[in-house]
Parts: sequence; C-alpha cells; structure tokens
Amino acid sequence: MRRLLVLPTSWAGWGLLIAFLALVLAGTWPVIGWVNRATLVIGLPLLVVWSYLVIFACVVVMLIGNRIVERDDHE
Amino acid sequence: MNSPWPLLITLAYVAIAMAIGLRARGGRSMNNLEEWGVAGRSMGPVTLYLLIAAGSVSAYTFMGAPGWAYSKGVAVFYVAIYLAYLALIAWYFGPKVWQFGEQFGHVTQASAIADRYQSPALGALAALVMAIGSIAYAVLQTIGSAYILFVISGGLIPIWLGVVLVLACIAVYLYASGQRAIGRTNAFQGVLMLIVAWAVGLWAVHSATGGLSFGGVFERIQAEHSEFLTLPGAGGDMSFSFWTTSIIVSMFSFMPPVWTQWMSASSARTIRRSATWLPTYYVVILPMVVVGFIGIFSLPELARADTVVLEYAMQNLPVVLVGLLGAGTLAASMSSSEPFIHSVSLSLSKDVLQPVLKLSNGVTGKLARLLILPIMFLVVAPLAIAEPGSLVMILLVGLGFASQVLPAFIGMFFWPRASRLGVIAGIVAGFLITVAFTTLWPHPLGIHAGFWGLMINLPVFVAVSLMTPATHDEVVERFFRIAAPRGFTRLGQ
Repeated sequence: MRRLLVLPTSWAGWGLLIAFLALVLAGTWPVIGWVNRATLVIGLPLLVVWSYLVIFACVVVMLIGNRIVERDDHE
Repeated sequence: MNSPWPLLITLAYVAIAMAIGLRARGGRSMNNLEEWGVAGRSMGPVTLYLLIAAGSVSAYTFMGAPGWAYSKGVAVFYVAIYLAYLALIAWYFGPKVWQFGEQFGHVTQASAIADRYQSPALGALAALVMAIGSIAYAVLQTIGSAYILFVISGGLIPIWLGVVLVLACIAVYLYASGQRAIGRTNAFQGVLMLIVAWAVGLWAVHSATGGLSFGGVFERIQAEHSEFLTLPGAGGDMSFSFWTTSIIVSMFSFMPPVWTQWMSASSARTIRRSATWLPTYYVVILPMVVVGFIGIFSLPELARADTVVLEYAMQNLPVVLVGLLGAGTLAASMSSSEPFIHSVSLSLSKDVLQPVLKLSNGVTGKLARLLILPIMFLVVAPLAIAEPGSLVMILLVGLGFASQVLPAFIGMFFWPRASRLGVIAGIVAGFLITVAFTTLWPHPLGIHAGFWGLMINLPVFVAVSLMTPATHDEVVERFFRIAAPRGFTRLGQ
C-alpha cells in the first residue's frame, strides 16, 4: 500500500490530467508573464482577455471531460 | 442623495429574499441533519450552479474587486482565475465527495475526515479550526451588508442596526429552511447580481465615455496610467510569485461550505454538470471592475478604494440603479455569509458536540438549527459591530489554515498510505508556518504565507505517514472504491 497512488488509468484520463495542468499553467507564472503587456485587445487589457480565455478554456476542458467520463461510464 | 428609492429597493430585496428562504422549506421537517444540513441531497444542476456561484461571489466583487482595480489595476483578475480553477476542483472532487456522503452518511467535511482516519478528534480539530476562518469570513460579509444599509439609508440605519437587521433576516430563513433556503436564496441572489453588475457597469461606462464599449475606458487608462494594465500593478505589490502562489493556495482551500454544497446535489453527475458551466458566471466580475477603472480618472481623491462603485453610482447613476446596486451588493454579502454560518453550526453540532456529549442524531439535528442563533448574535454580531482591526488577519490565517488541511484530502483521494498522525503533523507544521509568515514576517520573498506552509506541511505529512500506522485496510478500501474505482498505480514498477 506504501507505493500505491491514484493516477489516470487510460490515455483519455492522462490527456485530461495534462489539460488540467496546462490550464493551471496558463493562468500562473511563467505564462502570465508573457501576456503582461500594457496593450489592448478588443478594447480590453491583454491580461484581462487572457484571464477570460483561461476561464472559458476551463469550461471547454470540463465539457470534454464529461464526454470521457460518461462514455467510460464511471463516476 | 435624498431620494428614498434606493433604500426602498434595497429593503424590497431583503423582503423578497426572506419570503423565498421561508418558502424553501415546503412543509418538510427540518429536524434532521440530512434535510437541514444538505437539503436531502436533492439539488438540481441549475440551483447548484447558482448556489455555488453566488456563494463564491461575495461583497468582494461589488466592493473589494473594484477597489483593487482602482488602487492596483488588472492584478484583481487573479480572483477570476482562481474561481475558475475552483470549478475544476469541484468537477473532479465534487462527485467523489457526494458519493462519500451518500454511501457513508457524511453531512460535513469534518465527518468525512473523522471517518477516513477513524479519528473523531481529528474531525473535531478540523471543524474547530475551519470555524475560525469561516466566522471571520461571515463577519466581514456582515460588515459589508451593514455598511451598504448605512450608505443607502443616508445614515438612517446605523452600522449596529444594519448588522442586527441582516443577521435577523438570515436567521429566520436559515432556521426555518436550512440548506434549502441557502439554495433558493442564492439562486435568486445569483441572478440579481448578474443583472445588477452588468446594468451598473454599462450605465457607468456610458456616463463616463458616452458609449457602451469598455474600450473607451481602457484607452484612457492606457494613455494616462498604463501601470494599471500590467503586474505588479499600480501599488507595485502584486508580483508574479504572489499572483501565482495566491491562486494555488486559494485553489486548494477546501472550505467546509463548498463541501456541504457538493453533498446537497441530487447526483454526482449534477455536480459535474454544474461545475462545468460555473466559470461562465464569473463574467459578473468584469463590469464591476471596469467601474473601478473609471474611478481612477473620475474619482482620483477617494479616501476608501472599496467604496468606488458606490460613490460613482451615487454621483452619476439614476436612483433606481443605485437602489439595485444596494440590493445587489447586499445579495452578494448575504449569499456568501449564510453558507459559512450554516456550515459552522452544522459542523460544531455534528463533529464536536455530538461525539463529546454523546448526543443522538435527532438531538444533534435540532441543536444544529438552534446553534445558528448564538453563533450569529453572540459571535458574528459583536465582532461585526466592533470591527476589530485584526479581523482581516484572522481571516487570512483562517484561509491559510484551510489550505493546510490538504494532506487530509490527499489521503482521501490519492494516497491510501496517509496516516492520522501524518495528517495531524502536516497540518500543525503547515499551520504554524502560515501563522508566522502571515503575522511576524508577512509573505517572505513575495510568496503567499499559505504556500510556504504547504511546502513544509507536505514533506512532514509524507514522512510521518510512512513512519506511523496506516488506517485499517477495510476503511481505506471503502474510501478508495469511490476515489479510485479503476484501481491504483504502483510507483517504482
């Protein structure tokens, strides 16, 4: 039991874990440093646009996750 | 502003919230924990979406966040990002927590901890210390509510009376309908907040620029105060490291009311569906923050940054919108304080008083309902009226602690070898570091104190767990049949 861990057991599960980690990376350093510029995109500061892109990307990843979980029929 | 309309609209909101909260009971008996505590595990996806969304959007969105935009700039958007990440957390953990509750009868977070580690003492410890942060949070929201009533009434309703009025209103429907009242009122408050935020934001933009595009506001900020558009912000205090560690610490703060909300869902699938769409709600933050940016050039001499929206509205917006703003801000603070008061009462009854006094489930159910009254009127009200200067500090330490409970959840969801003593050692070590780095040496190297706590906490947790006995196999297997339905991965193979 000492060496047992809960990790994904399928390629789809690993893909989802990587997508979750990529989302967290997208909203934190160092990625956030790359969009830290005083420029405007569609009238909003770049950092604000990026924040909402990350936020809506979370929705997309969870939608994909729902399909995977429901296809595999496990909670 | 001498018009009575803002106060009348705000009071009308309070009356509607009370009516909704009282009707939520629907003739059910509320004297058992399953019903009063987790609404009989009955909430559908839309109610759950608005329950979690409105609960996480506090008075901070209507006062604090525009205040941050006014004083620091885009740094405030770390809040929107971590709220979206909390939806990821809810998506993964929520369905498993719901299954624990449904199969093992848990109604609180601390009951799950006590069950997993077979330690009522650890459950009671978690309940007690989580209560510190929860009460501080409820007090801050109550102060916000009372302040809104004070301003909207033109000083007619003093702070002490505002505190008593708001708490009395919440107490009535919380006692009567418990988690069902929170669900229904949060649904109403969530819709109200979204409408008010966008109506006030667009009207403010129109009055400031003559158009409806946010672009006019930000072009002016870019030309005159471009430091507000990047990190570390105008105050120079939101470094990349503080942004990043604040998000991570906030993400892993599993606050008890959120746990209770997950367990109130009608199914595991309901939680996943609600969590999926939850980030869309956080468009509520954008228009309020834009008003904060407008304040930079239209209210440059403001004494208190967090009053920027209210001041701007009273000077430039029609009275009806000022009234709706009052109602929306009050909705934000009430919808956030009531889940915390409810969860403190629920957890103290179930996880502290029931095991200590050997109470039956029936007596504990009645006690949980009654306990909201002393919590509100002997703890929250005096603290809110006194407004102690250290309150924010208590809250920060409380939230710092919340993230230090992380080992308990690692042992519940990922690592079966986690032991009771390992969890306790990790929590104590992490908590001490968090307290020291919040009070004595605040956030060393620009890194959040809670993150420092976790860096000590996690190695201590792993080391002590490996040196001390694990929980009985049958208990671990019971939990991991849900947490790992497809089995484990063995490291080192």
